[in-house]
Amino acid sequence: MTQPRVLVIGGGLAGLSATMRLAELGVHVDLVSLVPVKRSHSVCAQGGINSVNAVTRQQGDNEWKHFDDTVYGGDFLQHQPPVKEMAEWAPRIIDLMDRLGVPFNRTPEGFRDQRRFGGTLYKRTSFAGATTGQQLLYALDEQVRRWEGEGRVKKWEFWDFLEPVVDDDGRCIGAVCQDMVTMKFKAFSADAVILASGGCGLLYGRSTMSMICTGSAVSRAYKAGVKYGNAEFIQVHPTAVPGADKLRLMSESARGEGGRVWVPRKPQDARDPKDIPVDERYYFLEERYPEYGNLVPRDIATREIFDICTTDGLSVEKDRLCVYLDLTHIPRETLDRKLGGILEIYEKFQGVDPRNAPMKIFPAVHYSMGGLWVDYEKNENGGLVEGSPRNQQTNIQGLYAIGECDYQYHGANRLGANSLLSCIFSGLFCASGVIAGGKKNTRDETSPDFIAAVKKQEEIHQAILSRPAGESNPYDIHRQLGDIMTRTATVVRRNDQLTQAYDDVCQLENVWQHCSLSDTGNWTNQNVVFTKAVGDMFPLAKLMLKGALLRDECRGAHYKPDFSMPGIEATEPVEQRAEAERWCDRFEANTKKWLKSTIGVHGNDGHPVITYEDVDTTLIPPRPRLYGLVGGEVIEQVWKERTEKATETATVG
Amino acid sequence: MATTSIPEDSFLGRHQFLLYRLFSLAGFIPVGAFLIVHLLTNASVLGGAAAFQSRVDLIHSLGPLLPAVEWIFIFIPMLFHAVMGFVIIATGVPNIGSYSYQGNVRYTLQRATGMIAFAFILWHITQLHWMGAPVGGGQFDPHHAASSAAVALKPVAITLLYATGIIATVYHFANGLWSMGITWGIWTSPAAMQRANWLSLFVGIGLGAAGLGALGGMRSIDVEKAKEIETRMYKARQMLDGGISAEAQQHSAHAVSLSRESSSVMPAGSTSSANKEKRSKKKD
Amino acid sequence: MITASTLLNSETIAEHEQSPQEIRVRVLRQDAPGEESYWQQFAIPYEPNMNVISVLQRIAAISKAQDGRKVAPVAWDCACLEEICGSCAMLINGRVRMACSSLVDNLFKETPGEIELRPLTKFPVVRDLSVDRERIFHSLQRVKAWVPVDDSYDHGPGPRISPEEQEDAYPLTTCISCGCCMEACPQFNKIEVVQREEESDEELESRKQSAYDQQFLGPHAISQAVRFNSHPTGSMNADERMQSLTGQGGIQMCGNAQNCVAVCPKSIPLTRSIARAGRAATVWAIKKFFDR
Repeated sequence: MTQPRVLVIGGGLAGLSATMRLAELGVHVDLVSLVPVKRSHSVCAQGGINSVNAVTRQQGDNEWKHFDDTVYGGDFLQHQPPVKEMAEWAPRIIDLMDRLGVPFNRTPEGFRDQRRFGGTLYKRTSFAGATTGQQLLYALDEQVRRWEGEGRVKKWEFWDFLEPVVDDDGRCIGAVCQDMVTMKFKAFSADAVILASGGCGLLYGRSTMSMICTGSAVSRAYKAGVKYGNAEFIQVHPTAVPGADKLRLMSESARGEGGRVWVPRKPQDARDPKDIPVDERYYFLEERYPEYGNLVPRDIATREIFDICTTDGLSVEKDRLCVYLDLTHIPRETLDRKLGGILEIYEKFQGVDPRNAPMKIFPAVHYSMGGLWVDYEKNENGGLVEGSPRNQQTNIQGLYAIGECDYQYHGANRLGANSLLSCIFSGLFCASGVIAGGKKNTRDETSPDFIAAVKKQEEIHQAILSRPAGESNPYDIHRQLGDIMTRTATVVRRNDQLTQAYDDVCQLENVWQHCSLSDTGNWTNQNVVFTKAVGDMFPLAKLMLKGALLRDECRGAHYKPDFSMPGIEATEPVEQRAEAERWCDRFEANTKKWLKSTIGVHGNDGHPVITYEDVDTTLIPPRPRLYGLVGGEVIEQVWKERTEKATETATVG
Repeated sequence: MATTSIPEDSFLGRHQFLLYRLFSLAGFIPVGAFLIVHLLTNASVLGGAAAFQSRVDLIHSLGPLLPAVEWIFIFIPMLFHAVMGFVIIATGVPNIGSYSYQGNVRYTLQRATGMIAFAFILWHITQLHWMGAPVGGGQFDPHHAASSAAVALKPVAITLLYATGIIATVYHFANGLWSMGITWGIWTSPAAMQRANWLSLFVGIGLGAAGLGALGGMRSIDVEKAKEIETRMYKARQMLDGGISAEAQQHSAHAVSLSRESSSVMPAGSTSSANKEKRSKKKD
Repeated sequence: MITASTLLNSETIAEHEQSPQEIRVRVLRQDAPGEESYWQQFAIPYEPNMNVISVLQRIAAISKAQDGRKVAPVAWDCACLEEICGSCAMLINGRVRMACSSLVDNLFKETPGEIELRPLTKFPVVRDLSVDRERIFHSLQRVKAWVPVDDSYDHGPGPRISPEEQEDAYPLTTCISCGCCMEACPQFNKIEVVQREEESDEELESRKQSAYDQQFLGPHAISQAVRFNSHPTGSMNADERMQSLTGQGGIQMCGNAQNCVAVCPKSIPLTRSIARAGRAATVWAIKKFFDR
């Protein structure tokens, strides 16, 4: 009976890797998941997973450069020690996944093949066809099934996490969950609880995320007192295919192979796109960015597509924002050879052949960089102390967060193919610390703490079920919330809109309080589960809006045109120089003011209380991101001189 | 509403794989092999009553061993194949209504033709084989192979039943051959399975032609002429095997029909010598 | 795959082109296990580019039957909506399909203006279109579908694998455990173990497991066994997998109807796997017999 017990919430890459490692270390794991773990959202990841490898190493790459790329890509908003540790673990993680049987693509000699991804110069990305996430998830799922067979892991699939149970000393001793089939409640006593519940894309109505990414588990932890970091940082992918039910990703390679983005110059031109003459088409990316054309950096493409539809009102369709992504000028055979797979997806889901008709695409919410605040213990080399109970632990002792639901690794913007890495890394890495910090929890599920917690949840559940019939239903409320969030808190953010949105969301939350259920039964009631999840979206939505409203700057995915730092306008070298100096002054001031984690705490009145925490940037000093900026080279020169001077002073001093 | 579940510790449960594989094997060897020999033997009727008779004689040269051979190599394996077949049919739920793919249609036909073949063979045995004699069947006379068969098969309804039975049996065998190749892992890739399809089609058409040809051949036999030939051959054999004349007398059932043929001409020398040749070979 | 759409004549296409105003949906509902199932009709406004998921979402939002009666929303499973999580398999117009990749416009080519939804028939109904597919994963457990690594510590890279081997294995690894192959397989039968009075959840669970253990593994699990037996490390416990493949409910249950490969939403060469497993079983059984 001395076997330690850990409760893991969520069975994606993070939850499964933690479960695997814990089981291996002799821990009994209860694994709770909304769906069979093999169906978790990690399965949707396509591109690949980053790590330094034998080839790139010989081309001058190393773990430090991977670390640097990640931090630079994230606009320096992440604490550096965990990122450094992750980059150092990366090669070992790929090796491990390779050993677990992931069918990584191979070179003719039988080594793992790598491709290049955004934000780096090296071919660091290992991939398995176009379904790397699926393959990684399955490999871990298989290992966990093996442990399940050994009796070390017990899965609780189709179970909903409702609340962590915290004892009088403020330590997490378990959780209350609900069986979504029988609707029964159960308390889980555990020495530690690990949240690995993923992102919260459903706050935006439709996103590239799965229907299970409601963020409810995270919101419930937040409401129970866990701090939430960098809520306003949400990654929006430039090209997704709008569907009635969700937005499906359209790979960047479509533009890489020559796809052109355009809209009709006449708003909502009803003609068949092929009948619209070229001079009546607006190739806005090519016109506005003659140098980069359709392959402008992701955030710029996202913003421009968003702008052309909202500000300029040139969306192809009236009721649905979208632009054309046109491949029809490319020969069929070329398309089939180079883009076959992704074009088939479009065809399958849209019923239209993109070889004959332009695709309709629009940016879509894709990933939440923010998440539950977690701690770490730094070692003398700037990495992490392995086995420290502080690693991945939230501000509630015994409650951990890993994977997309923590805020630790991606700062203000995530690099492609780094999410799979951060999920597996945080899962594997946290295990030893969770065990070290695990205080034997002697209370079983019949102890008063748990009985009270279950009773509370039963009462909440009953209260929702017995609500009087009202006008609105949770599905409409969810759609409205999604509309507000998508309109105001995605690509372009303006303070007046955010203020308005915050009020609207609060009002909508009131409506939710009185929305009625169409199913009041107690068997597989998906209606009540969804209603609860929608209710739990409001605290997070308010946190995101408030965080975005308060952060008066542009950083990574957070873009406020009112606070943007445009490039150099001057043409005279001297003036250019002076302007660059001013630019750098402003950058330094901005860094000083805003290079801070946004920390949200759920206030008693239901509104978030926001504070700021310094970011550990001791390993790599912050520097400006100048990609695509006019006059960037002058600014870079000035910045270089400043840092050199600073280093000299430091050495002399 | 769990479906018929076989307990794990039962004989059928423990040896399921072996039984299913033996079932599959039995369908090919000896049952399928017998089918080929049988249909080709019968098809020899197309070469005339004498040709057919000489082949029948060859089989019957086993004498008292024949029933044992039949039971061990034909009836028992066939019965095993049939019993297992019914067990397998009982565990499946055909669904061509929803999934009318070629493979599924063939799967369903395999089961249907298996049942038809089973019923047909049972009836066929009672009707023609000596085993059916007590219940009024057993109409086949091995000494007057073509003529007795021709008489038995003459009614149109019987002919139609035979045609159906033969087609079903041949389909069951040919398609079973294809299926067996997958079961045992002989053809594994979709392309190889496609090639095997051609093989099975070829075997099916060949055997079907042999079977239906035999049926047609027997129907078109001139009974009287055939009887003459057969009687001559029978007598020739009796002369050769003088010692067994007593046994020949026991074929009292045929005595009536034979009496009228006793005056017929001697068999053609060629047939007789061919027969003799074969028999002596056997003795070697 | 031959679908009704390819057999469609031009007349129906012309008819279809005047988009219908509404979608009539017939759903076979069941409130809970053991209860009678019943048909319910819904009507929702037609929109272009809808799939069955969005149809069900609209039904959930209105929660009214066609006759205007307030009804509970239809229960169904879904997650990714891009045919990779494997959640939303159901019978759509009588055939097993993924709801997310079933487009209304295509379905209308089969039955204009109408869609019929039923739960899978080979798995016990939990509620409405939601079924208990635990057996899919149980089969994976039976064939030990994993690479038996020592531990998750660093031991360097995995074995070298040629691109040909990778290309051979890759399609098998894309199985999404949706259950379509099992649903369409005429040799795969439903097992529904109902909780007895005073039976605990644990007892029910173990009774369920042993019932599953005796019945057909299903095409997906055979394919996974083949995949792991051909992996250099995975093959180290190939013997155990062969034991399962030739045990009760093993590969012998396959009747070569080949529906599995025809309905597989991921076009996995399941019959190739089955034939390979058959070959391996032949060799293994003979070896075992003579080595004994």
